[in-house]
Amino acid sequence: MKYKDYLKDNIVSVLIYLFTTILLVTLLFAFKTNIYLLIICIFLLLVSGFIISLYSFLRKNSFYKSYLNSLDKLTEKYLILETIKEPTTYEEKIIVNSLYDINKSMIEAINEYKRNTVEFKEFVEIWIHEVKIPISSMILKCHNQKYDKDLLSIIRRLDNSIDEVLYYVRSENTEKDFVINEVDLKDVIRDVSIKNKDDLLLNSIDFSTSINSKSISTDRKWLEFIINQIINNSIKYKKEKDSIITISSYDKEDKTILEIYDNGIGIPRSDIKRVFDKSFTGTNGRSKVKSTGMGLYIVKKLCDKLGYNIYIESEEGNYTKVIIELGSNDLYKI
Amino acid sequence: MKKIMIVEDDSVIANELQLLLKSSDFDAVILNDFENAENEIIKNNPDLILLDINIPFINGEMLLKNLRKKINTPVIMVTSRENEVDEVVSYSYGADDYVTKPYNPTILLLKINALFKRCDQNKNTISYKDLTFDIGKGIVKASDKEIVLTKNEIIIFNLLLSNKDRIVTKDELMTDLWNNDEYINENALTVNISRLRTKLLDLGYDNIIETRKGIGYRII
Repeated sequence: MKYKDYLKDNIVSVLIYLFTTILLVTLLFAFKTNIYLLIICIFLLLVSGFIISLYSFLRKNSFYKSYLNSLDKLTEKYLILETIKEPTTYEEKIIVNSLYDINKSMIEAINEYKRNTVEFKEFVEIWIHEVKIPISSMILKCHNQKYDKDLLSIIRRLDNSIDEVLYYVRSENTEKDFVINEVDLKDVIRDVSIKNKDDLLLNSIDFSTSINSKSISTDRKWLEFIINQIINNSIKYKKEKDSIITISSYDKEDKTILEIYDNGIGIPRSDIKRVFDKSFTGTNGRSKVKSTGMGLYIVKKLCDKLGYNIYIESEEGNYTKVIIELGSNDLYKI
Repeated sequence: MKKIMIVEDDSVIANELQLLLKSSDFDAVILNDFENAENEIIKNNPDLILLDINIPFINGEMLLKNLRKKINTPVIMVTSRENEVDEVVSYSYGADDYVTKPYNPTILLLKINALFKRCDQNKNTISYKDLTFDIGKGIVKASDKEIVLTKNEIIIFNLLLSNKDRIVTKDELMTDLWNNDEYINENALTVNISRLRTKLLDLGYDNIIETRKGIGYRII
């Protein structure tokens, strides 16, 4: 704020003041007042007018200047009320109070949404917990009645889709609800492998692993979900025959690298940069098997939260290799 | 016959579990009175407890904590909640193993067998007729001769011998192999079985592994 701008804002008051002064001087002149008295009057009127306007300008300026300064410095602009100067004038009070009210109603509106999101997340978790019970019954029944393996494969697909929803909800939420523990990478790979055993065998995929028994810090369930999604993709996008899936791990500097390789149909060059995008289905996802385009998006989000780097290398018609840098995780160690 | 107590409030699952366990030669009892769960379990004196976390009246984890003050029966916790917290809590309260619904029934059976084996300490060798099988070393001894088995053959022979009263399905064998990080296919299983047969023939045991077509194998 500049003095000039302040005067411009108050142009009417300035003009009235100047007009009154001129009128007064003319009147005094008309009544033939002593010339010295006239000069003193003019001087006093102009000086007092100037001082009054300057004083009022400086007062306003100090408030607005600090206000604009702190607004400029803040990245979260809505926190302005915490840094603002104590209001002294009535006008400042109006501004501060209205800011306070606006802020409050906005926070309430946001909290409402937050609560809805949390409630929705809780509902999804409970619902999934509920739906896993009939799925368990189905699997047990299939096993006891010695039903076809195809039926089990369908139930597993259902279970995988449900897990996708669960981990989507978890990955979208800002709070970190994973638990870091020391787990053996070999145990994680074993659990995922057994989960996919029937599908791998049914599709005559040559499955092999070369995993060093190594303790890593991770959330086991999250890592299992990540690897499971990738293996599911490898099974989905396999070639007609002689399919291979290989999982291997090795150490690079302070990191453990996990590689999941398949000799499937691969990913076209034009698609590879976008495979982690939300709802991206790509050429394969549209032509071969229906895909939601969410699987790898969720995988990427979970990896980000756990602090893992994930890349995909692929050559169309040849192979796909997913590389996950499991990190040293020293951060999590106490 | 080992007695297993099923603590599960979903009656369909409980009944199917009972069927599954009975078909694997276990005596399975379902808990009905959840209000007095603790006393009921102690009264039944089972050899192993399958304990669901989400049961009426009392949380499964609390029940486990209370049980541990009185008995040392092996407990496998079962839950349908996909999270690490329950798992950590369960282990800290003294659970011996933990499975998440929906679980693979064969894996559950393997876990149960593994727990029983851990309880019977001197089970490092199995005897069959005049053969002794040292599981740790993978050596099968007859009166004058001995043979060394490969890792896959050890797993297969062990599972067959531990269940010699019934047919062991291909799926059980495969699952046990996969559970020991041997990710082989069914052809490889057939090859392993025939190699095992040849080795046993060297000890003078002809055809003690019988093939039940389409089902599995059995020691005779």
